[in-house]
Amino acid sequence: MATSVGSKFLDLDNGPDSTLLHRELNWLIQDSLGEGEPATLSCAASASSSGSTSSKKVVKLRTCLDDLYRLWKERIEDRRPFQYLVGCEHWRDLVLSVEEGVLIPRPETELIVDFVEDVLAENYGDGLKEGLWADLGTGSGALAIAIGRILGCNGRVIATDLSPVAVAVTEYNVKRYCLQDKVKVKQGSWFEPLEESEVELGGIVSNPPYIPSDNIAGLQAEVSKHEPILALDGGANGMKDLLHLCNGAASMLRPGGFFAFETNGEQQSQFLAGYMESELGGRLVDIKIESDLAGIPRFVKGFKAR
Amino acid sequence: MLSFLLRRSSSFEQKPQFCFSLLASLAQVQSQSQSHHFSSSIQNRSCFTPGYSCLGKRSDGFCLSLIPSSKISPGVSCSDVDSVKCVRFCSSQSQADVDIVEPSTSDGLTVEGIIAQNWTVLGEDESDWRSHASAIAQSIHLTKRRLKWKQLLFKVKSLSEELDKQDLWDDPVRAGKISREHGFLTGKMNEVKAFEQELFEHIDMIKLSREENDAEMESEALKALLEMRRNMKEKELEALLSGEHDSCSCFIEVQAGAGGTESMDWASMVVQMYKKWAQRKGYEVTIVDEMPGEVAGIKRATIRVEGEYAFGYAKAEDGAHRLVRCSPFDSANRRHTSFSAVAVIPILGEGFSRFQIKESDLRIDRFRAGGPGGQHANTTESAVRITHIPTGITATCQNERSQHSNKASAMAVLQSRLDKLELARQAQLNAQHTQSLSENSFGNQIRSYILHPYRMVKDHRTNYEVSDADSVLEGDIDDFILSYLSASLDKDEDGL
Repeated sequence: MATSVGSKFLDLDNGPDSTLLHRELNWLIQDSLGEGEPATLSCAASASSSGSTSSKKVVKLRTCLDDLYRLWKERIEDRRPFQYLVGCEHWRDLVLSVEEGVLIPRPETELIVDFVEDVLAENYGDGLKEGLWADLGTGSGALAIAIGRILGCNGRVIATDLSPVAVAVTEYNVKRYCLQDKVKVKQGSWFEPLEESEVELGGIVSNPPYIPSDNIAGLQAEVSKHEPILALDGGANGMKDLLHLCNGAASMLRPGGFFAFETNGEQQSQFLAGYMESELGGRLVDIKIESDLAGIPRFVKGFKAR
Repeated sequence: MLSFLLRRSSSFEQKPQFCFSLLASLAQVQSQSQSHHFSSSIQNRSCFTPGYSCLGKRSDGFCLSLIPSSKISPGVSCSDVDSVKCVRFCSSQSQADVDIVEPSTSDGLTVEGIIAQNWTVLGEDESDWRSHASAIAQSIHLTKRRLKWKQLLFKVKSLSEELDKQDLWDDPVRAGKISREHGFLTGKMNEVKAFEQELFEHIDMIKLSREENDAEMESEALKALLEMRRNMKEKELEALLSGEHDSCSCFIEVQAGAGGTESMDWASMVVQMYKKWAQRKGYEVTIVDEMPGEVAGIKRATIRVEGEYAFGYAKAEDGAHRLVRCSPFDSANRRHTSFSAVAVIPILGEGFSRFQIKESDLRIDRFRAGGPGGQHANTTESAVRITHIPTGITATCQNERSQHSNKASAMAVLQSRLDKLELARQAQLNAQHTQSLSENSFGNQIRSYILHPYRMVKDHRTNYEVSDADSVLEGDIDDFILSYLSASLDKDEDGL
């Protein structure tokens, strides 16, 4: 089934090709294996796709084969994202629970954690490591949890999201990594859930919706048909929420505080950087555009002026 | 009682107090040299002889007599024995001097001596002590050759000299390395010496028991010899893997040669072979990087094999592997010859000098990414390629489930490749250019797998061959590996 796809999805909307689907199938089987089974089933993908399951070994599955087959059919026919199929996404060194209604964290976003790591290492004296951080529009809680794990013992993270599903999933993920004392999850739009005592932020990170509204329909089926539009649609030019976050950062960050936002690419990054420099009266400084590993200018980061 | 006492010799070093009291009660003359006894330890036969003489008497119910000593070493009187001992103990303070003393039985039989006797080696169930002794002696001899005995002794000596230097600990990193290496090599050396000593004790014991007509004692000693014989077989094997990096885990890289789909299919068969081999051996196997072919097979792949001695074994596979068969990808079903190149790279652990990678020398990019990315794309593909700009060496990984892990994994491959490059450079500097490090091209053909018109797998280095090609391709390659390892180590007679 995976082989028959060939490069059809790829040509259609930049979707997965059969190589990738084979790998996913392998992972699906891996995830469904019971505890104590070998982590790798040699050539599971090629065997099952060619229909010749020659493996004589009996393995314990946690789900029955029919369910697996049904899931895989959804993957191919409905283009249901693989991560929803298995209910998790491997992101950085984390395994995060995800489900319909929550944006699946993207590999690009991993880099934001690297930026934060660098800042914590360089600006040790500023106490950012022990400060209060905010992950706005947290989704599955990926950034909040990853940052929670690299902060010092007094450092805290507040994760907010408008979606109740996202809040529930994040709470679950936070619990899985035993970070309940460190990461607080609150429902609400962007800065709104922050209390008055929580306005002196040491850092703000966010991967807000940034896709222009009229691009949504043309997205890869996995995204447009299955992922929450709330986490994707950034208004007419995709900048609605990013600009809101910029203004918020300018007022909510404490002097020397750090911010990093993910954007749609070069155009948005440059616009945003220009806006911060010209419209915010020098309140945000040291503004830099960073590229993701594919070379696309993806992030805007900087500091609050002292 | 007897078997316990026999075993005592092997636990000799751990229980010096016990031996002390035993010997002290035996003869007071010796007590003054007691401390030397134990520090110079196992290889000094005179340390053991009185132990046995005492045992011999004890089984008779006597003790406190040195007469059995003179019985064991005929022609040497008691006082002679002691004076010889004293001289020896005085001079045996440095390790190097001890090495000169060739261990032997009480009547001067050495390992070489036993081999020279040409006693027939019978099956293990034959209770002939000469057969056992001969088999053990041969094992010890082989083990020594595999360990490159002379070089080993020399190395230990020069390391000891280094350790004695006053300014050693001025450079703690180097000092740590030297003392670790010294400990490691001394351990190997002492183990073999302990085996020699044990062999001679058992032989002495048998001779003694015959003189004393003690059948029980003789059969105990014989049993101990047999056990030792079996033990030595394992030691022989272990000695095959005594290279500096042999105990490391490793990466195995397979690259398809020219020839399109047929050769890519062969490359994937080779990878399968190693995966199955590694699983049989209980190693953990992970695919790090895999570039599939357009129709079938793979263009190249890197697998990580984790476990003790993975590199020691797998290094024997470095080189080009040739397949001859009627290709299923040829519509005319003609016979094809294809090649796969295999490179084996050790994953050096802590404690080895590793290549220092500068962060600024690296270019890290997302491999095979297209489109606008970010929220636009939902993909489980997060392949990463790392390029080390000064050397142009790259490493990719796409089989991990997050970009972060792919990066870490690719980084590990890159590190190992650079380490290997560094090792090769150092080896060239040391003029010890070993084979496995250099010739890693299609020119260095090490093995042929012929599936048509007959079936055979043949190693060109050792001429070892089997006709069951299928089981070889199923990962049954240990015999090839062992025959290569022993051939490459055993040809070197001069090492002894």
